[in-house]
Amino acid sequence: MKIERFDLIIVGAGPSGLSAAIEAAKHGMRVVVFDENAKPGGQLFKQIHKFFGSKEHKAKIRGFHIGEQLLAEADSVGVKVELNATVVGLYQDREVVVRMGDEVHHFKGDAIIIATGAAENMVLFDGWNLPGVMGAGAAQTLMNLYGVKPGEKILMLGSGNVGLVVSFQLLQAGCDVVALVDAAPKIGGYGVHAAKVARTGVPFYLSHTIKKAEGTDHVTGVTIAEVDSHFQFIPGTDKHFDVDTICVAVGLSPMSQLLKMAGCKMEDNPKRGGQVPIASSAMIEGRMSGVVAAEYLGFMTAGEKAEKLDQLNQSLDALRQGMFAPKNRGRKITETEEGIPVSESLLHKGYVADDEIGRYPGVTHRAGVHPVIECTQNIPCNPCQDACKKHCIRIGKEITSLPAVEPDSTCIDCGMCVASCPGQAIFLINEDDGAGHAEITLPYEFLPLPKVGDRGVALGRSGSPVCEAEVARVRSSKAFDGTNLLTIRVPAEYAMTARFFRTNKQRKEAAE
Amino acid sequence: MNELSNRSRDIGEFIPQPDDDMIVCRCEEVTKGEIRRAVHDGLWTIAEIRRYLRCGMGLCQGQTCAKLVKSIVARELHVSPAILEPATSRSPMRPVEMHVFADETEDTDL
Amino acid sequence: MAGRIAQHPILGMQNENKKIVTFRYNGKEMHGYEGEPIAAALKANGVMVHRYTMKQHKPRGIFCAIGRCTDCVMVVDGEPNVRTCMTPLAEGMDVRTQYGVSDKPFSEQ
Repeated sequence: MKIERFDLIIVGAGPSGLSAAIEAAKHGMRVVVFDENAKPGGQLFKQIHKFFGSKEHKAKIRGFHIGEQLLAEADSVGVKVELNATVVGLYQDREVVVRMGDEVHHFKGDAIIIATGAAENMVLFDGWNLPGVMGAGAAQTLMNLYGVKPGEKILMLGSGNVGLVVSFQLLQAGCDVVALVDAAPKIGGYGVHAAKVARTGVPFYLSHTIKKAEGTDHVTGVTIAEVDSHFQFIPGTDKHFDVDTICVAVGLSPMSQLLKMAGCKMEDNPKRGGQVPIASSAMIEGRMSGVVAAEYLGFMTAGEKAEKLDQLNQSLDALRQGMFAPKNRGRKITETEEGIPVSESLLHKGYVADDEIGRYPGVTHRAGVHPVIECTQNIPCNPCQDACKKHCIRIGKEITSLPAVEPDSTCIDCGMCVASCPGQAIFLINEDDGAGHAEITLPYEFLPLPKVGDRGVALGRSGSPVCEAEVARVRSSKAFDGTNLLTIRVPAEYAMTARFFRTNKQRKEAAE
Repeated sequence: MNELSNRSRDIGEFIPQPDDDMIVCRCEEVTKGEIRRAVHDGLWTIAEIRRYLRCGMGLCQGQTCAKLVKSIVARELHVSPAILEPATSRSPMRPVEMHVFADETEDTDL
Repeated sequence: MAGRIAQHPILGMQNENKKIVTFRYNGKEMHGYEGEPIAAALKANGVMVHRYTMKQHKPRGIFCAIGRCTDCVMVVDGEPNVRTCMTPLAEGMDVRTQYGVSDKPFSEQ
């Protein structure tokens, strides 16, 4: 039996594994990365939304593009990635057993990094084993990697960022999301993610959970019901939906079995992980692991390590600030850092109520076209500030501050802020064109793309129709990276309430 | 010493619940009722439950049910799931045919 | 093909330039793209049930789609317990519903 030796063996070629490999290879280590999949990049290639954060966190870049960048970087520093290579065992003395093809191979690493990612958590309900009930990640894999619809009519369980993001992606794939359900009394993920789903008309059912998945051979329907504060069903609150698919997004657990197999001491720490942008922090933490391994094996000095870790820690810290920071978990937040009351409607229904929106610093009124920024929670994100070349948008020193519109700035209607906002929370609005109409430019990432002159209805933040509307302008550009800018014309009194558009043709088709 | 050491501790009677026939371990088709019953039969650790019922020992090796089983056992024992030792991880971590597992290569060429 | 996303607002034409192959599902001819997971091809063809369980004979289908849960296993080219979400589709593959660990319905086992 032959055993091949490497300086560093990494299990998992996802964002963190690749980042660790890059960092280690840069310092001259001989590194191999094993991954059981046919393609590297882990879950990054399923992330088709623009990421949050700042420039250094690759904010406003879509996940799959970040994946491509990471692969190119790994390649350029000579990282070897072995695909279709399943690590089946990790033994003492750092021996790794890998299945490759129909053979088992043995390797030894002076250091080993486990970057195997996470598995989706599940909840029990009647019928949860039926075909048609799947993890939200499974749905994401099918539609974004393989171009197959997970289902036609889908109910999503879980209002964390995964549930919200995947719901939006299901809509983009052309699926019908009939409801977004969570047993918790308030939405777990970012408000902007919820708002972009809500404005398309998806109803949110908080304090509700699944009672039963119906069907004999596969899912044909689902019954949800309201729960009390002890998560017990309240009699008489049943609601039924005809669906063919139920997606479950109730959190992730690290896949740490290999570490346990190697004899590492494990602890159960529910405070680890959570609401921080997962792939972004995984890439930073991956780089940290690479640095630690490099120093451990003498490829860099302790001083170099400390300096590098300090840098990375600062970057990671920036992602862990704001309302969704780990330290705020379970805490009820009533005000923003600016002292503005949070939107209760956003937490319970998925959208900021019309009478709440005016209190945020991004929402101002003036003559002519100007940005209206419906960003109401302190999250670590600032691409809008850099996007505006005219400096109309200010976030300030703290990356979590709410974006504000500079009073004396001149908006040139370029649309870069609308396209750069990962939360799709920025609108360009001309409140009155002089002829009694308002023009609203909104981000639009669906097909078919409406055409100039198309007539339909404007939907409010809640997804309910508010008035008739006509498409005045459609902008697509490479600089917008897949986000189209749709300008709709509505009666002037709806300037601050109309936030989405549906053509009459789409409405007719939906009704049928 | 913790709540698990004293096996004479009274954890109460087994009370049937309406969802006892719900499958928890998808691979080995072990129900919630079977797991709850096993705890009352004196099997207080995940390792014991696993050997007794085979939950978490099927093709997927407990990927989905490990956490669910832990919470069910913890609830029966009136303890926090955090103090229950998870099941031992063993090779192979993924389903591997025996003819492959036994095929030690002579040459590794990376 | 039904169930496919013909054009995606962000990803564009996902299945352009892919080779179409023919495979058999329980003897019936179906089409899919070469190299995509068997499970994706089945999903696109409207197949929901991949197997029936050993003890309770209950139907199962795609659950995790990334090779972790093993619920989507089927009998492929005569071999049972093949994870269809991880196994690439190839021309002429024979894919069958798995009953327990067999491709024969329970009544015939």
